[in-house]
Amino acid sequence: MAGKKLTVVISQQQGKNPVQRHLEEEIAVQLLGDPDIDVSLVPHLYDLSRDHTGTMFLQSVPGNLLVLSWLFSRAARWILDRNGIKGQEGISLLNPEEEETDAPPATNGIGSWDVPKRKLYCIDLRDHQQAKTYLEEIRRIARENTVQTFDLLGLIQSSPQRTKLQKYVEPEKLLQAAEAPANPETDEQVKRRWYPVIDYSRCTNCMECIDFCLFGVYGLDGADRILVEQQDNCKKGCPACSRVCPENAIMFPGHKTAAIAGAEGEVAGLKIDLSRLFGAPNALEMAAMERDTELVADGREAVGMTIGIPKRQAAKPQSRDNLDDLMDGLDQLDL
Amino acid sequence: MVEDAADLVFMMGKFAARVPRDRGYVESHLWLQRQGDVYRVGFTAYSVRLLQDVYFLNWSIDAQTRVRKKQEIGEIESSKALSTLYAARNGLVGEFNPDLLNDPSAINTDNYGAGWLYEFSTDEPLLSAEEYLQVLENGWEETQRMIKGQINE
Repeated sequence: MAGKKLTVVISQQQGKNPVQRHLEEEIAVQLLGDPDIDVSLVPHLYDLSRDHTGTMFLQSVPGNLLVLSWLFSRAARWILDRNGIKGQEGISLLNPEEEETDAPPATNGIGSWDVPKRKLYCIDLRDHQQAKTYLEEIRRIARENTVQTFDLLGLIQSSPQRTKLQKYVEPEKLLQAAEAPANPETDEQVKRRWYPVIDYSRCTNCMECIDFCLFGVYGLDGADRILVEQQDNCKKGCPACSRVCPENAIMFPGHKTAAIAGAEGEVAGLKIDLSRLFGAPNALEMAAMERDTELVADGREAVGMTIGIPKRQAAKPQSRDNLDDLMDGLDQLDL
Repeated sequence: MVEDAADLVFMMGKFAARVPRDRGYVESHLWLQRQGDVYRVGFTAYSVRLLQDVYFLNWSIDAQTRVRKKQEIGEIESSKALSTLYAARNGLVGEFNPDLLNDPSAINTDNYGAGWLYEFSTDEPLLSAEEYLQVLENGWEETQRMIKGQINE
């Protein structure tokens, strides 16, 4: 029976925005009475440490899991993955559809490992304003879910910590916990964190990030896979390694630039970006400048472009196009 | 501004981009012309041709702000493109052209005159019209590749 229930976890916002809080609470309240759904609240996913009870609760969920968070779904998925909370990617109709022809599917990456058969859905709470929109989709997924068979692997993985974590799964305590953080058990301080998150569906294990970062954030696991080993060694605000990653596999979910924060595909849309023409530093220059700022702040010497800069292919072989064709082509772009 | 026979011209395909000799330039496709104690800064004809109709211009810094070269100072969006704008030199950004704040269309209609962007003070050297023309000639192939690359993506 447990396997048939869909576990819905709402990852709360980092701040105290009343509108966001209202959305979280309304979804939680509406789901409380639903016999097919277990609903829980945890603090913001990105800020949860590995030994936070919220993380342990998520790890203990045996069956299908749906996580609502204030994050791009791709960012949420790989934050969870890093904490050992894995599953087959569940398709939500609320997630932005990928372009059919452009945006080639990520097939180059080394992928995740030890992924159980259960489904993991990640939904971004910033996409819609109405709780109703989310509730309809959650109930649709829950219905879809009841048809599926029970997953033995999931049962084995559920750990004895489950009793200790009971507060999370008892609905009547859920809202009290949300309302009154004075409850000693839930009063674990969560501070804002900043660290890279690797999307292994894109990561090719090329090691450019570990060569570039001079702060000891990256490491290797037992199978020589790149890993964000020391998350809290990372320098707040610095997204430099994501700029040197040739596969755009490194996300900083808190960065203001959507592409770095984990949005799907190219966010700029169809317009041409002329920033380079108008003097933008290129990605590597930018990365080196950002790294230097952090080195100097640590009392170390700036290294500029001398260390860990990948030697990329120079400009691709040029296709010689007729100038007039180009300008005409520009004019015809009906944007 | 009336077309002057002394202007240099760079051919972007069939489009003739004028480079007037009465002012200085920077590699990031802006002109700078002395107005009293400060420079006025604007887009060159080359920039405007690539941008086409400008819809939206937004400054991310206040007037009278000291800036470093390559520091982000604003954004521009046009019918064909968008771009962040960067400081071309170390210096001081003075007043912004107030006429553009509500209606940036003068950038298209009079880029070397009423379409100026902001006042700027710097001690650093500028390019002459001839040097800027050389920058255009050297960079044209790559600019086309960059634009083509983005269109084909």
